[in-house]
Amino acid sequence: MTSAKLPPWLVLLLPAFIIILAVVAIPLVFSLYSSFTPYHLTRPDTLWKWIGGFNYIKAATDANFWKAFGRTVLLLTIALNTEMLLGLGLALMVSKVTRGQRALRTAMMFPMMFSPILVGFQFKFIFNDNVGLVNNALQSLGLTDIAIPWLVDGNLAMFAIIFAEVWTSTSVFAILILAGLFAIPQDPLEAAKVDGCTPFQSFRYVTLPFLMPFIYIAMAIRSLDVARAYDIVQVMTNGGPARRTELLWTLIGRTGYVDARMGYANAMGYISILMSIAFTVYFFLKLQSSRRELGMGD
Amino acid sequence: MKGRVASSVLALCAGLGFATAAFADGEFAGVTIEAKLIGGQQYEALYGRIADWEKATGGKVSIISQKNHFELDKEYKADIAAGTTSWCVGSNHSSFAPQYPDLFTDLTPLIPAESLAGFVPANIAAATINGKLTMLPRAQFDVSALYYQKSLYTDKAKAEAFKAKFGYDLAVPETWDQFRDQAEFFAAPPNFYGTQYAGKDEAINGRFYELVVANGGKMFNDDFTPAFNSPAGKESLQWFVDLYKAGAVPPGTTNYLWDDLGNGFASGTIALNLDWPGWSAFFNDPAASKVAGNVGVAPAPKGSAGVRTGWSGFHGFSVTEACATKEAAASLVDFLTNEDSQKLESAAGPLPSRTAVWEYVLDQAKSDPYKAEVLTAFQETAKTAFPVPPTPYWIESGNLIFPELQAAILGDKTVDQALQDASDAVDGLMKENGVY
Repeated sequence: MTSAKLPPWLVLLLPAFIIILAVVAIPLVFSLYSSFTPYHLTRPDTLWKWIGGFNYIKAATDANFWKAFGRTVLLLTIALNTEMLLGLGLALMVSKVTRGQRALRTAMMFPMMFSPILVGFQFKFIFNDNVGLVNNALQSLGLTDIAIPWLVDGNLAMFAIIFAEVWTSTSVFAILILAGLFAIPQDPLEAAKVDGCTPFQSFRYVTLPFLMPFIYIAMAIRSLDVARAYDIVQVMTNGGPARRTELLWTLIGRTGYVDARMGYANAMGYISILMSIAFTVYFFLKLQSSRRELGMGD
Repeated sequence: MKGRVASSVLALCAGLGFATAAFADGEFAGVTIEAKLIGGQQYEALYGRIADWEKATGGKVSIISQKNHFELDKEYKADIAAGTTSWCVGSNHSSFAPQYPDLFTDLTPLIPAESLAGFVPANIAAATINGKLTMLPRAQFDVSALYYQKSLYTDKAKAEAFKAKFGYDLAVPETWDQFRDQAEFFAAPPNFYGTQYAGKDEAINGRFYELVVANGGKMFNDDFTPAFNSPAGKESLQWFVDLYKAGAVPPGTTNYLWDDLGNGFASGTIALNLDWPGWSAFFNDPAASKVAGNVGVAPAPKGSAGVRTGWSGFHGFSVTEACATKEAAASLVDFLTNEDSQKLESAAGPLPSRTAVWEYVLDQAKSDPYKAEVLTAFQETAKTAFPVPPTPYWIESGNLIFPELQAAILGDKTVDQALQDASDAVDGLMKENGVY
């Protein structure tokens, strides 16, 4: 009697397959399925009721969903670009420091060490209209005699949220770009100097092209990871008031976990995945083209 | 089998009217009760008594989760979805309870009838959902009364200016219209505001609900079609809008929740504050509050229909349907809500839900004029208090209503438009869930 033996490559890969199936593939398929049902967390029997594309049609025709979608794209665009510019500036400055650079690099990472919930509470207090730090400072300095509603006015509230997000995540860009700066070969920079380039020209035509792959990698990582800002938004405004700071994360989180309408929340989640894919593909294409420019191949 | 025998014995004891508060020694030896309890300083003094129950019965209590109610709510929903509901005792709240129709068991057969008879009947009625007694109320009955700064009413110049402007004497408001006049009169932003209100989530929804009732309206019709888009609803929402437009409330009030309100009144920058009983000691504590010694407490004002606002709720303990040792779990719940437990909890300020304990705390407060004033105001308000509408969609519909209320308050929509949009959204929710 011969027992069927699995080929060694399959045996070796099997644990990985099982883990990926259990933690990624099955939950993904399950959540996709549930988006075609009226699944309500407190009524488990609703999971077995097929309603076709009802949830998708409902989300696609809901003005509040698309407003939240647009606001999320806006927040991503402003926050990521601001973080990139500030991170680039920070990295360039730190790279010039000759003494105490290690201490500076460590200090630069402090904001990353805070839990996003704590960051949310911290900035909620700072921007509180009545007892907050910003308003009290502005009033004490005589710059204003009104209580500026930082977390109420739509534009100011988005600014406050972006400010908190930029404060906590700029150092991610700075660290990655700093690594890029250390990896730049010195020959082209010295050649530029010999050729009489100004410092700006050296930066624009030599340093920056070398840094671009690092910047796009940082962008791609952050565009996927930026949803961690959910905690900050949840604590600071929870999408309000009057949906003025509603983002996809707060809307989907509330629908799924507070209202318990998990089927509908999953449908909204799948539509918004399109946005994540679009951002990632865009940054990946930019990364490829910048690597090609440097002759690093695809 | 053992459980069934114990259950029969308990049922027999209950039927014969025997007191089961005195436990048989080691009655639940070897039984471990897993519990999910509300956490927070004001709630935890009671949990010290769990050791007494363990000693008396031989049972053990393992607290497997301790969070605020909003987090517990999410956890319960996740448990229902995952089918992991075999833990036994859970903190519950009258506003959340209708959402979990099948999670908790009917306590009526598990609790001695005489123990049940000791509760305020209205509380037991509110804890009974679809004929099932889903929880036993603890001494955390909540209804809001009016806190105010007394010095504002002893200032002669203010009294004269007020009378000149509004044509009637300045006195602690008895109606919500007087409250609005006075809040606008006292306001001197950005350093001092006439009042403040909770501006988001269930908090503003509850405040709107009680004002609608006080103005003679209701949130839902008997078939749960939305009923708040009515003259009473419009009058109520207009009250919030007027105060905001007049600058009588802090501009950030639409982001405020209970802690912001409590700390705001204690900071001395708010004249009038509708708030919960749990804050009474804090407001009058010189170490924590700038208004200590200057706090007055009055019953909640009345709306245009002559009805007092009185949105009420209470905390309680429930036993899960899937609990394998329901008798032991019910014994623990009974213990945590008995007279001694309620006396312990209400000593710190919260209101009891047992008739005898109400009498006890009123008697105890005789030597403390502030405490007596607090209890009298809350007792008067509690007389006409009312719970949230008994629908599992209270929280869910609230999440559709409150952004519209905020939109009207902030001027993004008119009162009519906001209520129409909220009503349409709630109507859609009810229809989608097959309510009608």
